[in-house]
Formats: sequence, structure tokens, C-alpha cells
Amino acid sequence: MDPKHIRNFSIIAHIDHGKSTLADRLLEITGTVDAREMSSHSQVLDSMDLEQEKGVTIKASAVQMHWVAADGEEYALNMIDTPGHVDFSYEVSRALAACEAAILVVDATQGIEAQTLANLYLALENDLEIVPVINKIDLATAQVDKVLLEVAELLGVPLDEVIPVSAKLGTNVEAVLQAIVTQAPPPAADVNAPLRAMIFDSHYDSYKGVVAYVRMREGWVSRKTTMLMMATGAKTEPIEVGIFTPEMLPVERLSAGEVGYIATGLKTVREARVGDTITDAHRPAAVPLAGYQPAKPMVFASLYPSEADDYVNLRDALDKLQLNDAALTFEPESSQALQFGFRCGFLGLFHMEIIQERLEREYDQNLIVTAPSVAYQILLRNGEELEIHRPADLPDPTIVEEVREPWMKVQIITPTDYIGAIMEILRRKRANFLLTETLDTRRVLMTFEVPLAEMVIDLHDRIKSATRGYASMDYAFDSYRPDDLVRVDVLVNKEPVDALAIIVHRDKAYARGSLLIRKMKEVIPRQLFEVPIQAVVGGKILARVNVQALRKDVLAKCYGGDVTRKRKLLEKQKAGKKRMKMLGNVIIPQEAFLAMLRLDED
Amino acid sequence: MKAALYVHVPFCLRRCTYCDFNTYAGLLELRAAYVAALERELAWWAAEQPELEATTLYFGGGTPSLLTPEQVQAVIAAVRRRFALPEGAEVTLEANPGTVTCSSLESLRRGGVNRLSLGVQSADAAELRLLGRIHTWEEVVAAARAARQAGFDNLSLDLIFGLPGQTLSRWEQTLARVLALEPEHLSLYALTLEPGTPLAERVARGELPEPVPDLAAEMYESASRRLLEAGFWQYEISNWARGAASAQLLWDLPPGGRSEGCGPWVSHHNLAYWRMEPWLGVGAGAYSYLPGSRWRNLPHPADYIAALQAGRSCRVDVEPISHTLALGETMMMGLRLAEGVTDARFRARFGAGLETVYGEVLARFAALGLLEWDGRRVRLTARGRLLGNQVFGAFLL
Ligand SMILES: Nc1nc2c(ncn2[C@@H]2O[C@H](COP(=O)(O)OP(=O)(O)OP(=O)(O)O)[C@@H](O)[C@H]2O)c(=O)[nH]1
Ligand code: SF4
Ligand SMILES: [Mg+2]
Repeated sequence: MDPKHIRNFSIIAHIDHGKSTLADRLLEITGTVDAREMSSHSQVLDSMDLEQEKGVTIKASAVQMHWVAADGEEYALNMIDTPGHVDFSYEVSRALAACEAAILVVDATQGIEAQTLANLYLALENDLEIVPVINKIDLATAQVDKVLLEVAELLGVPLDEVIPVSAKLGTNVEAVLQAIVTQAPPPAADVNAPLRAMIFDSHYDSYKGVVAYVRMREGWVSRKTTMLMMATGAKTEPIEVGIFTPEMLPVERLSAGEVGYIATGLKTVREARVGDTITDAHRPAAVPLAGYQPAKPMVFASLYPSEADDYVNLRDALDKLQLNDAALTFEPESSQALQFGFRCGFLGLFHMEIIQERLEREYDQNLIVTAPSVAYQILLRNGEELEIHRPADLPDPTIVEEVREPWMKVQIITPTDYIGAIMEILRRKRANFLLTETLDTRRVLMTFEVPLAEMVIDLHDRIKSATRGYASMDYAFDSYRPDDLVRVDVLVNKEPVDALAIIVHRDKAYARGSLLIRKMKEVIPRQLFEVPIQAVVGGKILARVNVQALRKDVLAKCYGGDVTRKRKLLEKQKAGKKRMKMLGNVIIPQEAFLAMLRLDED
Repeated sequence: MKAALYVHVPFCLRRCTYCDFNTYAGLLELRAAYVAALERELAWWAAEQPELEATTLYFGGGTPSLLTPEQVQAVIAAVRRRFALPEGAEVTLEANPGTVTCSSLESLRRGGVNRLSLGVQSADAAELRLLGRIHTWEEVVAAARAARQAGFDNLSLDLIFGLPGQTLSRWEQTLARVLALEPEHLSLYALTLEPGTPLAERVARGELPEPVPDLAAEMYESASRRLLEAGFWQYEISNWARGAASAQLLWDLPPGGRSEGCGPWVSHHNLAYWRMEPWLGVGAGAYSYLPGSRWRNLPHPADYIAALQAGRSCRVDVEPISHTLALGETMMMGLRLAEGVTDARFRARFGAGLETVYGEVLARFAALGLLEWDGRRVRLTARGRLLGNQVFGAFLL
């Protein structure tokens, strides 16, 4: 197709502002997905079970639509729906790099929120044309005029360029398509130049190997092309090339300007990486396209198979999942307590939770997940520097000169009523308050610096609940800073459990340590003998609790009619124990490893 | 084949707050049709299994004492006729103290019931109200007296402990009052809050305190001691029978090493369950276990009656019991008894010894002090009685 008739765009917004619902309507009016299918299924692009269940987009997904615009011409519209949660902004940034325009959706009942700004800035960095849309105008609580004004001011555009719609009812969504066609530039695309296609995402298919999602920049590709991955040097012929409709539909060829997929037949991630450029081996391009900044994981946690035999399966699962989630990192590690597993890096806690759930569902893994920690930089007395990803690796204090931890810049948009509450929450998180900017009569943008280690625990939840959901938050890495940090070890039944160690500020060591073991006591089931749990810093015991020995666990009544039911109950209990880990003689449930996340100190 | 015979009577005047049994309030008008259906089912089984002989008969519920004595008598007669229930065999009827009179008890006794099991639950007025029982303590005393007058020499009383808010001394008082009635047999059940029952919901809503398991354990141990002094043998986790001779220790093994050694008052019918011997259950929702399978009847009395009237099968949830399942169930049930499971009986039944099948589990729990295993018999220790679930599960293969 002539690039003049192609438009590539993403839909971006703060979480839940209605991106996927708007995508549904666009798919419907372009006849890409028929209305009947749609009525039984909302957010069709949220194709993972997990996305449907949580009502949240996790993966960006691409789809091609065809539409006859007001000028009577037919256009191919490549749309990428993106996630709104801050943990998935890496997905958004790669999607944006494949587009010339972005629809910025703002919920008329909420107005501009933290990720509205964050994602808008991402789009502007990519020089994208912005098509602003106000959504949910059907709701009684919609403040259409006010939000229109806000958005117009933010973008510096006339009011009538902001399109009010109801994605749910379909009101006025055609205007959005028309705006895309008229405002978004067609892709700059030279079909005759040597092939250059950018891999912006991928997944693994057991028949087709690595399926690369590509934005075609120059040239074209067909099944006959011998492809060369410019970074890895891997060569292969495609098993299939095609477009998303949203199902994968094979086509003869993909040409410059288009968005589609190439089933590479390659079997491993390492051969076809997200961010690599595909070229024609017989007529290679001189230089690759600028790749993506690799995602920098901020939060680390270990994943262990609950049964040691599953180690290899877990590795395969992580390998495949990584193809579909370029932000996930992992490396093998071993722990005294948990044996063999992987230290994984995530972009945030929600990301971690999603990875865990995907491994469990899509790859049928039974996991033990340890408490998240952050990366620390260590300066040793001998001048050597190292980075550690788990608390147990903190070297002996006598050889450590300095421990530095990551600090984040956190921006919170909140109604003025909650300023006090937010200040109080942040104060307890060792945060520095930087400034407050007035957004409008009712709302402010507050900026803080917060140690990431404090943030991961529960900052987001606390802010949400303290402000009844009215505040939104965005954050980005700022810098590493030294502080007086110590490791608190946890001993279960007198044995140190490396996976339970935490690093905290010395002033908080006692409070955190004793709270941690109390929380653990709540979730560790009583065993057949008493189990002491101790919190220790540098060999000194800070606190101790005992999990009392179990005294009574028996079915009082068991007659003929009860046999089946009681047997099933016991079988279920037995299966439940499989989700727990044996540390010596002590059975520890998964929750105990995450007790650290529930350290609310009031 | 010999089997224990169970008859379910799924009627109650009102549902108690803790009850999740298969029973219904407000269906009393179905009684006559129900008894007719019972007779049909018995006839059907007699034709199906002509060799089947009943060893014991047990009317459970629900509230069997809501049947008229004539209706009970008719069922007993049918069982005697069709299943050769021996003269003098144990015939138990569960009765609610709020539903019996001197004359009804006399008729029941004359009609062939020789063991009466009264649902007492508590001797405390507030607790009886909490449990939603339809009777008072005074009615319990009157019912027990009337039972004696009617000639019942085998009287069993059921109690529940570990109620929300119940104190140890209040429980001890209930037990003392109940012992004063001089029953031959006692069943003491720790309360289980069954999901969905009004009592469980009140606890979940925070209207009632959560029962404390450690306190229930103390109540249990205190009752065990008290009953030992009073001359009762504990022959099962929740069941005590007054002995001819006395036990010397808690959870003592009766003379001869068999429950029957405790004396004449053990529940012979229930022993069949714990020993996983065959039983046939008739009536709505009754479970049966004949070698190789277990099943249940349609639970609702109206469905049950309709099926029998139409000559359709009322069996549902038929579960084949494989060799492996039978092993596990035999242990799960048998370990509830003071007599435990003997290697000889296990071998006779399954063709392999306990050590071969369960060697590792036996050693593990013996080391933890929960099982007593001497190579010939395995049974729970006194501590193990309170921790049965920790043990039973390990025997399910
Ligand atoms: N009333 C009304 N509700 C809407 C409208 N658009 C979306 N919603 C609802 O808002 C919620 C969020 O919609 P989604 O489309 O999943 O939002 P999203 O922006 O894709 O969310 P994430 O992908 O999680 O960031 C859903 O419950 C939608 O039904 C609208 O125009 N009107
Ligand atoms: S009398 Fe027995 S069966 Fe009837 S409701 Fe009460 S506890 Fe349940
Ligand atoms: Mg979405």
C-alpha cells in the first residue's frame, strides 16, 4: 500500500481512562471486528485471560484497520493499544517508537492524571502528533467543559481540537478516526531502500518460533527474504509474514510504513531481540535503526520452583516469557534455604505480580516468590564498587565504606484536600519534599524524592486509599545516594534464612525487624513443635517471637456419611502444603516471604 | 454379606444455627410418603442383594424422633423381615429432647429401639439458645428420665464444646450436669463452624467471638480426665462408653485390644464406619459403602420420594473406591479408634503389611510422638488424638 494511505498511531492515557474501550469502538466502526463478537467481549485487545480478569491492559497490542475517510480514500490504520499502569511504561515507549501519532485519552470524570502527563511527554519525545480525546462524556459525573479546557491548555491547542467522546456508547468516535487521518502524518517510508524493520515486541510460538512484531521503516520483506538480525547476526527465512487483524493474518509482503509481524522460526530469544533491526542479508542496510534503551529493572525478587525438580521448567518458562516481556530480566541464583532459582528484575511491584501470575497460569509453574528488594551500590573500604540485587549479598559491614540506595522522583497529582495526608505518608517513607505546583483551583502536582526501597512496600496503595483514589502517582529513577543502611537477618528455628533478609535504615532496623517477624508469625502455620523466629542485626538479636506448637487439629465428627467429604478436605490440605516450602523441619507458606510487604507501621 | 444399616430421617422442626446436615424444616407433611419410600428402597435392596444381612440398625437425622413410633416400628419390622437383623441387635434412634414424651419413648422401646441417642449439646440455657436448639435443659432432664422409665438401659448423649465465648468452667459445668444423668455413652464434639451456617456467619461478621482452638483443646483434655474418673473408656476421638472395668489411663486400650473390650455400651453401629466395614444407608442423602464403591442418595426428601415412587434410582455421586483409596480411608477412619489399625486385619484386607505400605509415614509420626507403632498395631498417642488431621492426610496415597 502507498505509505500516503497508512497511519500508525498508539492510544495512550492514564490507567483506566478508556483506551481499550476506545480501541473496541474503532475496531467496530472500521468493521475489523464485528459488533456481535464485540457485544460478548469487551476490550478485545486485552486478549490475555489475566487482562480480562483484572480489567487492565498489560501488553501493548497492535491491529490493522481499514477505513474510508471523508476524502473517499481508503486508509490502512495501524493502531497500538497500550497499558496505562506506570510499571508498563516500557511497553508504551516501544509502541510509541513505532508510530507517527498518538491518541491521548483523558477521562472526563477524572481529568489529567499522573500517567496522562508521563505518557504525553513520552509521546512528545518521540515527536508524535497528539490527537486529544476526552472520554466517558456519557457519565453524569463527567466535567466535560472543564477537562476540555484543561487538556487544550496543556497541549496549547484550540478547544475545538479536543474531541469529546463516549467510548462506551460510541458517541463521536468517528471524529477520532477522521482526526487521525487528517492530522497524523503518513509514515516516511522508502520502499526501495534496503530493508530495515524494527522489532518492537515479540512472542514465542512453538510452531513458528520467535514471532517478531515489526514496524517496517524501509524496504519490504516477504517469505523469500533471507533476513539478517543486525545486532545478533542471526540469519533466517521467515516462516510467515503478516498483519494483526487482531488475529495473525499472513500476507504476501510487508512494506515500509506498515506494522505487522514476522514469524522468524528462530528458537531462542537471544537471536531475535526486541530493539534489533531486521535487514535483508543479500542487500543489507548500512546501519541499524536506533534501538531502545533497555528497560532498567528497579525491583528485584527471587523466584523459586516450589519443587526443586521444576528448576529447568522454570528456566524455560522465564525464557519464553521474556520474549513477550522485554522488561523482565533474570539470572540463576542459589539460596541456602530455597536451593536453586532465579533473581529477577521488574519495573515495579505490579509488574512482578503480573509475571508471577503469568508464570503460574501460562506456564503452569508453582512458585515461591521472595520479598522484593532494590539494587544497592556498595563501595568497599578497598575502593572496589559493586552492585547487589539481594540483601543477603551485602558484604560484612567491616569491609564496607558506603551503601547507596536508589532514590526516585515521585510526582503526585492530588485534590488539595489531601495534601496533608500525602505529606504525612511520605514523611514516614524518608522522603524529601521538593515542591507543589498548582494545576487548577482544586488540584496540585506535588514532587518528592523517595528511596525506592520505601516506595516498593506500599506507597501506591497508601496514597490511593488515603485519597480515596483521587490522587495519581508517577515516578522515575533519580539517583543513588548513600545512607546508613544495615541488613536485618531473619532466623527461623535458629537457622538464618537468606531469602528473608532485608536491608533497612539503621534507625528503622528495630521497628522493621520486629514488625517483620510478627507479620511472619501471623502467616506461618503452627507446627508440631514451637518455632522461634528472630530478627538479627550483625549477630545481635533485636527481637524474637514464637510460633506456638499446634495443639488441636482434628475432625471432631467422622461417620459413614463424612468419609468422602473429610477425605477430600484432607487431600486439599495436603495439596495446600505443596504451595509451602520446607526449611529444615519447618513449613513456610509463600506469604511469609512477602510479609515484608505488609509492614505498615501504625 | 453383612452390613450396618443406616436410615436417614431428614426432618427437623427448626434448623439449629450450627447445623449443615442434610435436613429440612417445614416438610413434616412428607413423613408418611417418606416412610413408604424407605420401605420401597429397603425392598429394592432386598431384591438386589438377597444375601445382605443387617448387623445393626441406626436411625439418624435430622430428627428421627419426629417420625411416629408406629412409623419407626414399621421400618424396623421391614429391616428384620428383609435383612435378617438378629434379635437383640443394636437398634439406635437419635432423638431430640424437645420432641419426645413418656408415651412416645415407651412405644419406641416396645417397637424395638434399644439404644437412644439424645442430642443434648449443652446444659446451659444461653448456649442452647445460641445453638438454636428447640429444647431447654429441663426438657433434656425430663427426656432422660422418661427414657429410663420407658426401659432404655442404653442411653447416649451428644454434647458440643468450644462454642464462641464458652469458658472452660461453663463447659465443665455442662459435663457435670450431664454426668449426673448417668448415661451409658457420650459423644463430645468440638464445634466446627461450617461455612454458610448462621453461627459461622455471625462469627464472620464479628458479632460473636471466634472460637479459640487452644481453649477447645483444654476443654477436651479436661473432659477426658473427668470421664476417666467417672469410669468411661474413650474408644474413639469423640466417643466414650461407660466400662464394666475401668480404664487406668487416658486413651487406654480396652481389654483384648478391641473396642468391644470397653464393655457393652460402645456404639456397634458406628464401629462399622470406623473400621470401614460395609454399610448400607437408606433414605434421602444417606451414604452407603459396599466393597468397591460409595454413593449417596438424592438429598432432598421430595426428590427421593419421587424417584422411589417412579421406580427410578435415587443413587447419585457414585464413587468407585480403588484399592489405594480404601487403604487411605481405612487408616483415616481406623486411627480414630483407641484400638487403631492392626497389622493382622490390614494384611487380611489388603494383602500387604502396614510396614510395607506405610513404613516411612509410620516412622515419621512415631518420631514426632503422634503415633504409637509396635509392629503389630498402630494408633494415635494421647497427643496425636488432638492432631489427627496432621496424621491422617499423610496416609492418603
Ligand atoms: N461510562 C463509560 N465508561 C467507560 C467509557 N470508556 C471506558 N469505560 C470504562 O472504564 C473502564 C476502563 O476502561 P478500559 O478501556 O479498560 O481502560 P484502559 O485505559 O484501557 O485501562 P488500562 O489498559 O488498564 O490502562 C472500564 O470499566 C470501561 O467499561 C465511557 O466512555 N463511558
Ligand atoms: S436437630 Fe440436629 S439435624 Fe436438626 S437442625 Fe438441629 S442439629 Fe441439625
Ligand atoms: Mg486497556
